[in-house]
Amino acid sequence: MAGRSPWYLAYRRLRRNRVALGFGVLFALIVAFVLAAPLWANGVADTGPNATHTLERVEVDGESREVVNREGKPVGPLWFGAGGKFFLGADGRLGRDEMVRLMYGGRTSLFVGVVASLITVLLATVLGLLAGYRRGWVDTLISRALDVVWAFPVTLLAIALGLALATGGLQIGPLHLSGDSIWVPILIIGVVYTPYVARPVRGEVLALREREFVEAAVAQGAGSIRVMVRELLPNLASTLIVFFAISVANSMLLESLLSFLGVGVQPPNTSWGTMIAGGFELITSSPQLTVVPGVLLLLTVLAVNVFADGLRDALDPRAKLRLEAHAGAPEPEGHAV
Amino acid sequence: MRKPQAALVLALLTIVAIGVSSCGGSGGKEGGTLHGTYASFPELDPTINFTAEGLTAMYNTYLPLYTYAHADGQAGTEVVPALAEDLPKISKDGKTYTLTLRNGLEYSDGTPVKASDFPASIERAFKLNSYGSSFYAAIVGAEKFAETKSGGIPGIEADDKSGEIVIHLTKPRGTFVNELALLYATVLPAGTPAKNLTDNPPPATGPYAITKVERGRAWSYERNPAWEKTNGELMPDLPSGHVDKIEIDVVRNKATSVNEVERGKSDWMQSILPADLYSKVKGKYEGTQFRVEYPLNTYFFWMNVSRPPFDDLKVREAVNYAVDSAALERIYSGALVATHQILPEGMPAYQAFDLYPHDMAKARTVLEEANPSDREVTVWTDNESPNDEAGAYYADALEKLGFDVTLKTINADVYFQTISNPETADLDTGWANWFPDYPHPNAYFQPNFAAENIGYTNLSHIDEPKLDAKIAKLGEEQLGPQQEDEYAEMDREVMEMAPWAPYGTNTVSTFVSSEIDLDKVIFNPTFGQDLTSFQFK
Amino acid sequence: MARFAVRRLLGMAAVLFAVSVLVFVIFNVVPNADPARQLAGRSANPQLVASITDEWGFDEPLPRQYLTMMGNIFSGKVVSYETRENVDERIVEGIPETFSLCIGAAVIWLFFGILFGYLSAVRAGGWLDRALTVVAVTGISIPVFWLAAILLNYLTYKLELLPSGGYVPLSENPLEWARHLILPWVTLAVVYVGFYSRVLRSSMLDAMDEDYVRTARAKGLSERRVMTRHVLRNSLVPIVTLFGLDFGALLGGVIVVEGIFNINGIGQYAYESLLNLDLPPIMAITLFGAFFIVLFNSLVDIAYAYLDPRVRLGESAS
Repeated sequence: MAGRSPWYLAYRRLRRNRVALGFGVLFALIVAFVLAAPLWANGVADTGPNATHTLERVEVDGESREVVNREGKPVGPLWFGAGGKFFLGADGRLGRDEMVRLMYGGRTSLFVGVVASLITVLLATVLGLLAGYRRGWVDTLISRALDVVWAFPVTLLAIALGLALATGGLQIGPLHLSGDSIWVPILIIGVVYTPYVARPVRGEVLALREREFVEAAVAQGAGSIRVMVRELLPNLASTLIVFFAISVANSMLLESLLSFLGVGVQPPNTSWGTMIAGGFELITSSPQLTVVPGVLLLLTVLAVNVFADGLRDALDPRAKLRLEAHAGAPEPEGHAV
Repeated sequence: MRKPQAALVLALLTIVAIGVSSCGGSGGKEGGTLHGTYASFPELDPTINFTAEGLTAMYNTYLPLYTYAHADGQAGTEVVPALAEDLPKISKDGKTYTLTLRNGLEYSDGTPVKASDFPASIERAFKLNSYGSSFYAAIVGAEKFAETKSGGIPGIEADDKSGEIVIHLTKPRGTFVNELALLYATVLPAGTPAKNLTDNPPPATGPYAITKVERGRAWSYERNPAWEKTNGELMPDLPSGHVDKIEIDVVRNKATSVNEVERGKSDWMQSILPADLYSKVKGKYEGTQFRVEYPLNTYFFWMNVSRPPFDDLKVREAVNYAVDSAALERIYSGALVATHQILPEGMPAYQAFDLYPHDMAKARTVLEEANPSDREVTVWTDNESPNDEAGAYYADALEKLGFDVTLKTINADVYFQTISNPETADLDTGWANWFPDYPHPNAYFQPNFAAENIGYTNLSHIDEPKLDAKIAKLGEEQLGPQQEDEYAEMDREVMEMAPWAPYGTNTVSTFVSSEIDLDKVIFNPTFGQDLTSFQFK
Repeated sequence: MARFAVRRLLGMAAVLFAVSVLVFVIFNVVPNADPARQLAGRSANPQLVASITDEWGFDEPLPRQYLTMMGNIFSGKVVSYETRENVDERIVEGIPETFSLCIGAAVIWLFFGILFGYLSAVRAGGWLDRALTVVAVTGISIPVFWLAAILLNYLTYKLELLPSGGYVPLSENPLEWARHLILPWVTLAVVYVGFYSRVLRSSMLDAMDEDYVRTARAKGLSERRVMTRHVLRNSLVPIVTLFGLDFGALLGGVIVVEGIFNINGIGQYAYESLLNLDLPPIMAITLFGAFFIVLFNSLVDIAYAYLDPRVRLGESAS
């Protein structure tokens, strides 16, 4: 296929990968679901994610039921019995609408996951490029710093930072973030995962810099920055894309863990992690409060992982060809991996 | 071990095991081994421990000069002699306490209890910077000792020959005998090292001695030989206990503990029930294996009276009208008893009243009369359920009332330190609870409403000289009927100033297996379930 | 070779030093972290706070406090602020439980990870491959704490098949020891099984292209022999690397699992100390964990260097 750009070829391969596409669509559906939160909240459920209804009653098929009974048990899923209110029931003793919270919580979880990954990839690219290309003391400094963060058991570091920052917030020069700002967990997760991406990036840069096109650019008098941006970066692009996708999955899982432990997303923000934590309290009597957000989180992360695999296959054709060769007849249909 | 020996040991062990298990199981009323679970591991050093779990664990092991009566309800708030022969003779100026140590007392390791052990034990509290040491700071020379940790405390005279102990205070202190009955003043041998002895607890004077400790996991008790030999006879009013052995395991997962008690694998769970099993267990076992208990406490929302908008009395009244105990009852799964005053029922001097019955409409009217200009309010709460939900409910109620609310949820382990720290910004209002250190009204009013505790336990920053004077005056007097009336009046007066919006008293429960006689179990409002009252049916 | 190892060791020490400083800074320079108030507890009063500040030296300059604490940790004298117990002793007490958990989980994930990866590679493209891939990717995507909660609820409370936690020492009763640890093992291993099976699959598929495989086939060796003797063995290199890194970093994952399943190991201790902002145990445990990570990292690097002379002589790419 002479004349086609590698991106177009990658796109064609991705298109053939039915499974990856399927999960990509699942991811898109989930995104649509959470983006529809305000529509559902205002149009159907008529309540926000944090509004409490402890003492209220709801009309279900003609009979009036307590949202939270005297012993603190929340009403279970009503589906459309009350016109969509409390579709998945109430979330606990505060009587908040579980479905509304699920949607808003999803927005937070996705937002934190995606933005934290952007930060990770951005930082990792900059650091990896500098360390890999410039070498010398820059490399040593950056590599040691990455080593230090890497040496810290990830969860410990994230919990420690989360705890420390949740209480007093973060002050960087003139910028002050309050302890319950959504940016605190985003920054923590973004920074904590950086070494895991920066090191491979550095490794690839080390390999790439020996290649002819880099030598050629340098011979033509290109400065460091030009080389890094014009020559190296485009060649890193496919790796970065795949890392980004994987980071999203890992970041979402880390965020939910931190929120579950109480050191991630802080109230009044909700995320699927905080919902699982809340549901854990009532797991024996109202298991849906734990199961549903967890399943949704699992599906989202799964979709991202599968799609990331598809991306990797599409961008690295060797893997695909090899697979076809071993399976016997060439299968244009998608493979899961 | 060689085979024949091993077989012999095995046989012996089997016989012992059968013997022990049949003792516990087949209906003997006295004796047996009680198996209990705690959800957390308390420090088993009486001078250091400040948790309720530790009090329950050590109430019948470590005896101070005085103790609290082994009874339920208000009867359990009375101070009775333990290692001392009688209640102390107090001089007219209230500054000198004279008492005599009983003659012939021994520790579980056989050494005799000496009068000079008492001042040494108080010194140990100061050396360890124990939380309870502040109760004894009024003793002459104690403050100096707290700083220098040397030179002894001159204000305590102890004569080992006669057993007489004289305590001199710098000023009269009406709560002193109550404080002498706390575990912080446990009498331990004079040479006991000033470090946390949880791994190897000090010798006991009570009916049960702690024999084995696996830190964080388990500990067990056996009958104290000293009690059987002499202490029990010298202190006939204190119960000796029915079971022979007590084995406690730490099981952090409360649902597991419930399961174990239901199946009879465990005889008792010390901790509260998990929220989602509460109503189920209560419904199924109330009266037979389950009983609601009422420790002394108040749960409330504090308001910082030193800054707007809560510097306006009418605003605070409006908040009191707005808080709805019915909602909070649900948040506490039915385990909360509603109240709108400072002192809880069961506390001496308690007289019920309600100045602010819930009325949202009235709340709004009163707020409009006040019309505060600053409507931005930060509500603080901790992250432990259901307190975080109580905080969220409160934030919501304030929003409905017309405020612009920011809710801050702080990790439970640092919550109180954060909200009491004067450097924390935006301390407007928030959730809190108060468990008095001992059952005396002063243990409520002094820490929470005396101006000197602003920045520490006085969360509402209330500074009223007349109230301070009254608290100080009543604090110097011994608690009699007149003082009780004055405290009841103080309860009303403080509620009229409305620095708090109290909403309830949290209950706990006694949940035992079917083999334990529930009716015999005593729950002391300060010390919890009394281990000497557990008896197999 | 020796010089390389020595350099690595010095690097390790430097990294550990930096980690300890970082922890110290996080917990001291952050606002609202007044340790004296924290220790004095809820009902603090000025005298108590002053006494405690004095006792622990909180009013000394920070670098001095840091040195004191580090000295205490290495001499085994460091004492927790909160409970005044010896931190090093408590860590040592927790080792059998944490190691039981880690090693058991590691055995499980290595076994199943390699098994699934091998089967996937050998039957690449077929239904078994797909099924195992689904299992693997799902494993990677599960939130561990959620899985633990669900397993606890359904296998323990509802069905009462397995105990809900606690720890029985191996020396006491091996069967109970295993029975109590099965759920925690599975919970901890699930993610890694998924990950490792995919890495192995990928690595084996790469290897199957290599010349030596063709040679082996040409020599007439059975397919099975080719796969196990040649392909698998050479594909295990990345697994070994990964395992070194993952096992070293296991402390983090262990924190949650120990908490949920009531195992009194180092992870549980770490979690409690973090919540209490109890700096001495946090420092000690972090150093302990970091030490393992750095140790395993270095072992892996040294092994790499040993295997690949290019790496040793040039600059290491890892």
